[in-house]
Amino acid sequence: MNAESHTLLIDTPPDTLDAVHNLLQIIWDKSPEVDIQDRIRFETALIELASNIFRHAHNGSGVSCSLTVHISNDKIEASLRDTGQPGDIEIVDVEMPDVLAESGRGLALINALVDEFTYERIDDHNVWHITKRTSQS
Amino acid sequence: MEITHRAISDGVVVITPIGKLNMVHAHHLRNEVDAILGKGHNRIVVDLTNVEFLDSSGLGALIGCLKAARQANGDLRIASPTEQVKLVLQLTNLDRVLTPYTNAETAYVTV
Repeated sequence: MNAESHTLLIDTPPDTLDAVHNLLQIIWDKSPEVDIQDRIRFETALIELASNIFRHAHNGSGVSCSLTVHISNDKIEASLRDTGQPGDIEIVDVEMPDVLAESGRGLALINALVDEFTYERIDDHNVWHITKRTSQS
Repeated sequence: MEITHRAISDGVVVITPIGKLNMVHAHHLRNEVDAILGKGHNRIVVDLTNVEFLDSSGLGALIGCLKAARQANGDLRIASPTEQVKLVLQLTNLDRVLTPYTNAETAYVTV
């Protein structure tokens, strides 16, 4: 398979998580060799990350986000660059909360789903990156 | 998100959400469960057959609904999750408190 990149510009509101699901559907349709378990893990992590970014759009001013998904022979990666406020974000060693907690699982879930997860604040933007290594049949 | 519910035997109510149980739609499930508890039904099954995608917001709603049902001296159980939903439950350890049942109709039937 040749490496491919897909980029999506998201402004929320009005764009929603469906825009991200739709992009991934296009990618999966073009890459049937990607194992279903890898797809599920990557899509769940990416939607969780996008939700985390979009949630801050509800604070009033909205968020613009550039999403690039890069797929190659042995991995799928996503980079997201958004205009949201800098977060007090600790993504390393974040632990799952108590089983009866009603929130606080998002970042821990991403860590559990993918092989790499990074966050940086660069030039007034939040820059997120996830990598899922793939096992192709 | 479309959510329907139906009463089955022994006062059990089965709720069937259809679509993605995510940040956008999670509160619909909570509203539905609160309405059913308000009518005095405290044994609830959420049939996940048609939930194609669950995220941490959806999980939070399920836990909120479980706690509300327990506060009403009842319980909330889940049935027939898809592969994606099962994975999310396992990775968050929530399968310990929300054990998936194979079939909504028999989730309260003791063997």
